[in-house]
Amino acid sequence: MVVERQSAKKLTRRTSKGLITMAISLVILLAFSWALAPSSVSGGAVSGMLQFGAVLAIVGLGQMLVVQQGGVDLSIPGAVSLAIVIVSHEPDGDNNKLFAAVLLAFAYALGAGILNGLMVGRLGLNPIIATLGMNALLFGAVLGISGGTPRTTVDLLRGIGGGATFGLPNSLYFAIAALILVSLITKRTVAGRRFEVVGANSFAGKAMGLRVRTHQGLAYVWAQLLYCTAGITLAGITAQPTAYMGNAYLLPSVAVVVLGGTSLLGGRGFPVATVVAAIFLGQLDQFVLALGVPFAVRTLVQAAALAIGVAIYTVNWAKVRARFAARTDAASAAVQS
Amino acid sequence: MSQTDTQQGTPTLSLENISKLYASVPALSNVDLTVLPGEIHALLGENGAGKSTLMNVASGTVQPDGGTIVFAGESIPVLTPAIATRLGIAIVYQHPAVLPDLTVEENLRVALPASIFMPRADAKKIATRLLDGVGLTVSLADRVEDLTMSEKHLLEIAKAFALNPKLLILDEPTAPLGRESVDLLFSRVRDAVAQGTSVVYITHRLAEVRELADRVTVLRDGKLRGVLDVDKVTDEDLLALIIGRKLESTFPPKATAATTGEVNLSLTNFTGPGFKDITVTVKRGEILGVAGVAGNGQSEFMKALAGLESFTGTVDIGGKTMTPKDLLKDSGYLPADRHHDGLMMTLSVRENAAVSALTKFKRLFFVSDKRERDAVAHSLAELDVKTASPESLVSSLSGGNQQKVVMARALLSEPRILIADEPTQGVDVGARAEIYRILREVSASGIPVVVNSSDAMELEGLCDRVIVMSRGHVVEVLQDANLTETNMIRAAVSSTTESVKVVGRTRAPRQTGFGRFLQGDYAPSSLLIGVIVLLGAFILSQNGRYLADFNINSMLMLATSLGFIALGQTVALLIGGIDLSVGPLAGLLVVIASFFINDDSSGLTILIGFVLMLVVGVVVGLVNGSLIRFAKFTAIAATLTLYIGLQGFSFLLRGEPGGYMNAVITGALKAKVGPIPVAFIVLAALAIGLEFALRKTRWGWQLRATGSDEESARRVGVNVNRTVVLAYMTTSFFAFLGAIMLVAQLGVGDAAQGVGYTLTSITAVVLGGTSLLGGRGNFVGTLLGAVLLIQALNAIVFLGLDEVWQYGFQGLLILVAAILYSVARTRKKGAVSA
Repeated sequence: MVVERQSAKKLTRRTSKGLITMAISLVILLAFSWALAPSSVSGGAVSGMLQFGAVLAIVGLGQMLVVQQGGVDLSIPGAVSLAIVIVSHEPDGDNNKLFAAVLLAFAYALGAGILNGLMVGRLGLNPIIATLGMNALLFGAVLGISGGTPRTTVDLLRGIGGGATFGLPNSLYFAIAALILVSLITKRTVAGRRFEVVGANSFAGKAMGLRVRTHQGLAYVWAQLLYCTAGITLAGITAQPTAYMGNAYLLPSVAVVVLGGTSLLGGRGFPVATVVAAIFLGQLDQFVLALGVPFAVRTLVQAAALAIGVAIYTVNWAKVRARFAARTDAASAAVQS
Repeated sequence: MSQTDTQQGTPTLSLENISKLYASVPALSNVDLTVLPGEIHALLGENGAGKSTLMNVASGTVQPDGGTIVFAGESIPVLTPAIATRLGIAIVYQHPAVLPDLTVEENLRVALPASIFMPRADAKKIATRLLDGVGLTVSLADRVEDLTMSEKHLLEIAKAFALNPKLLILDEPTAPLGRESVDLLFSRVRDAVAQGTSVVYITHRLAEVRELADRVTVLRDGKLRGVLDVDKVTDEDLLALIIGRKLESTFPPKATAATTGEVNLSLTNFTGPGFKDITVTVKRGEILGVAGVAGNGQSEFMKALAGLESFTGTVDIGGKTMTPKDLLKDSGYLPADRHHDGLMMTLSVRENAAVSALTKFKRLFFVSDKRERDAVAHSLAELDVKTASPESLVSSLSGGNQQKVVMARALLSEPRILIADEPTQGVDVGARAEIYRILREVSASGIPVVVNSSDAMELEGLCDRVIVMSRGHVVEVLQDANLTETNMIRAAVSSTTESVKVVGRTRAPRQTGFGRFLQGDYAPSSLLIGVIVLLGAFILSQNGRYLADFNINSMLMLATSLGFIALGQTVALLIGGIDLSVGPLAGLLVVIASFFINDDSSGLTILIGFVLMLVVGVVVGLVNGSLIRFAKFTAIAATLTLYIGLQGFSFLLRGEPGGYMNAVITGALKAKVGPIPVAFIVLAALAIGLEFALRKTRWGWQLRATGSDEESARRVGVNVNRTVVLAYMTTSFFAFLGAIMLVAQLGVGDAAQGVGYTLTSITAVVLGGTSLLGGRGNFVGTLLGAVLLIQALNAIVFLGLDEVWQYGFQGLLILVAAILYSVARTRKKGAVSA
């Protein structure tokens, strides 16, 4: 039996445990949604869910890159909010200024990413502190630019970010593009492959002569660019975005990364599973909403999902099984002798 | 009692028929050891002969699979470290169990029973005497992190002597010590013996056996080879007992004159950290072996050859002089610690094997899947790696096959030199033979191969030329007929060289009181006081009402709730963890209060409310701690789960703000003396009390020991699980105190409040100078950090500044503080290792 299973695996890359877990969970959730709260799987609900789920997916991909290097990025609220504020304030109703605003948003993101990367990679600051401080600085910039008052997004951006193509929300295409980009770079390029190796074991990376600290620092740069993309998309989806919209994305971003199977200790990243996890959390929202239970239950379900998600990967089930097996063995041996 | 023992000559320790299996490989089989009262008993044997395992059995850290332990005539069914300590067994490990972030004095106090330091008033004097006893000339207030390796060893030895043990076990104590310290150690050992202590002395050096021991037990391959009186045995007889292990693997034929070519590796005066003046030449087709007792500079030598250490002298490979950078690029390195430095356990076999050769598989921008698969498959087949599939996780392979994966990686990168450090450690017999074959083939193909092994027999079988290292020097170069196990061991054990100072381990200049202060835990606090005063003075100059009673009072009230929560966060960070759930927990507790502590509630209801808050708080801490210690969640994952969950509960209980708090209670909580809230005075007193407890009580030492180095903490007897779980419960308890202040501050149950305290509390703690790495920090700094944060927020209002500043200022504060503290620390570390 074992041999059969092995030969079946032989030539295909293994589908990750995270992806399998998340895909099955999503299917079960959709089945429940359909059975118990059909309104949560109606066309409008699904498209709305995908729209916001896609934003979370993009943010989650950024967080995943940082987590792959054993870090965690707390600057997501500031980063997302800053992107939103720049693209909604700078153009000030003028479609022609949108492009420049987008460039400016990415320039800020690049700067923030490089600073984070330098602090963590070069100066060896703890990622929590570095990104916590960066988050405050980014919010300073948010308020500096917006003065705290929301401004309506320009039509062009609303069309791009909030529109739909072929019946699917545009934000979903952005998420798919981000997913393809992240997957290609981390799985198919030399730098990306080394990036994963450094995350999996930085000591081994060092012994091989890889530039460990550069890889660790670059994670924050890529992450910021993704947050920025997510922020711009979000600005397009919501007509009048507020300066604090990014706050809602920090904890879910960590949750989707963990649910997707990427270890908080670093190592291999699972981009597809992360995106599926984002859709899962999005649908969970819709489902709970449609059931009419209090908003708070949603949070509890999220916490439970996270706890189960972590336990699947952290608890050494093989060892637990082995312990039980050993107990049974010992018992049977005792019987025999 | 001990007197009668001595008179009757009952052995101090008697181990009979001890057996121990590791993964069904016998490490010890039916070994006996008898240690008589007042004797120095040497334990001799090769690397891996089972000496350390036997002594771990004797000290209770390893449970034998068979045999009996009798101590002073009393049979001990199960020996644990705690029982061993009670019986009077003290062991000095090869790797000192010291805690880097604690001071010398604290290291002594946490590891030794309190009774040693009685009477209390003389504790310092007693500690100093302990250090003098082993000739350790450091200050009690020095942080152990700053000590050299040999000083750490002396500290470890001092701890053992302090116990006045009946049995003292010394595991290769002289390896890192200079001659003077060795002499002092020997005289201390003789003194102890004169007072009736028995000593087991593990060593590799015959000279030391002769100098010190009465009797000697020789082990080989986990079996007893003989027990002899030292003055009745010759060196040659001892050597004959040590060596002669049965050959298990077959070796490929060695190089002959016909198969060797011109010199293709030559080292001249090759010197680096831990080794000195190594000069050797190797011909094409020859394998160079590195022998010696483990830990005599071999690994450092191998690392330098791999380009991972700086060196002086020259390395010539095939006529090209190599720089460290060249070596890093062109060497294939098999690290000794495969798990730590060699493999990415969570990645597949293919990914592990391919990583060093990725550029060779590149086609345009991407790594060609086909090229990579083909090359890896080819290499795996050539090395005969047994894996279900190249896509299997490397962790699912056996040790031998894992090692072959590391070899495949090295060979795929087409190296100019192959450096194999302990290539067969943890590898089964069958795979060993194949690894030897591969190394021989690589060597024959013209790539120089250097093999370090602690197994002399292996080097005899495999190598064509062997250098024997002792304390960083080459003491012998062996080849041809001289290349025998006996000669290697003779050279290693009879060497009397002194250690090469490892450059990285010399000590920073001894610090004066002031220097110590600057790098100590309280420098951030003084800095914070300075900033608080300056900021206050500046605001006052802009706005005269700043110091009005009302403003002082409201600032301190805010600082009190934050302060309590931050004190709790400090505890979590001290053990090297973090608690993200404190904010939502405080919020939830306030929500709970809003159901019980209302104007129309009875006294009993109010009391129930407070008790419920306390219980919920402590339970949350228990859950956090248990998830981390028993379910192996990371601290972030565990407390993040609670963060989300607790927030959910708050909203579930109070979807909308409501439930006004009892005015009498809030009034009482807001009581003040002059402008100062009573609660703030309580907070300050608590912070100072905690600070004292952190420095002077066992609780504090254990907390910091756990955060400093978990493994060492366990070895000095700290119950790590209990310490960590209790620490998270303490953190939650302080969140409870903070929540009580929030009851007064908010006056109403509101699920949206409290959450922000998580990040603010971390900010306050970091400002106070507590390290997120664990082990060092202080409560007073946390209190000042909380005050400064509140002051900064208040300043924005008072100076009429933009909201931008509210965030900008907070961000700058934390980053500047973090960078400042971290740079100060690395600079200091640099000073130690430079």
